Amino acid sequence: MSEQGGRLIFFWGRECPHCAKLHPVVDEVSEELVKAGGQGITQLEVWHSDENAKLMRSYGDVLKRACGGSLGVPSLYNERTKKALCGMRTTKQQILDLAKE
Amino acid sequence: MAVKKLWRCNVCNDIHYGIKGPEVCPTCGAKNAFMLIDYPEAKKVIIDRGDRLDQVDQLLEVWERFAEGKPFRLNPDAEFVKTLARGELENQRNHGLKYCPCRITTGNLEEDLDLICPCNFFIQPVYRETGECWCGLFVGRK
Ligand code: SF4
Repeated sequence: MSEQGGRLIFFWGRECPHCAKLHPVVDEVSEELVKAGGQGITQLEVWHSDENAKLMRSYGDVLKRACGGSLGVPSLYNERTKKALCGMRTTKQQILDLAKE
Repeated sequence: MAVKKLWRCNVCNDIHYGIKGPEVCPTCGAKNAFMLIDYPEAKKVIIDRGDRLDQVDQLLEVWERFAEGKPFRLNPDAEFVKTLARGELENQRNHGLKYCPCRITTGNLEEDLDLICPCNFFIQPVYRETGECWCGLFVGRK
């Protein structure tokens, strides 16, 4: 498990279809990052866990900006760089860049 | 923003929540019939009278009707749409309202009211760019 404060987090919702589509991409990137000796991506479901929702809200300012207004899923947040990606059009390359920056 | 209040048509008891009551009652057609009322009165008038929209099929029907004559339609992928319907009903059970499954509440009710589906997605940048709502429940007509 990666350490709190330095994680790359994938926020998703169980009944969000775009999240389901992005899931395998996130898994793939996560595996690649681990293989390269880095840390993987922490996956947190937000509609069925108050704790995860709370954490997502705590990064609200950055995430809202990335999502174009509200707290959206699927989204990714890098705790180290405080940068985020949001939405269905997120690509594998963007996630890799977010992780490595 | 002006504060919304509750109004009752004194002819047929329609209830309206808004800055002012409608000039013409949409149910009985009475003119200038809406009176300002308070919450307990409104609650007594409507309690347990409205339809429950707590089944997937009901939501699908409401959404179809909502999209009629609009520049968008319900996503033709039936499974996709059903997933969203199930998510909204789950959110209603767990969080009180049919919140968008592709966003998360902030805990501030005023802000969260914007996340009740269908939301005002026309103002979302993603709708302007792709013609779809954030979740893809409603998509552009081709
Ligand atoms: S983005 Fe789409 S699914 Fe989500 S609340 Fe708005 S209309 Fe409903």
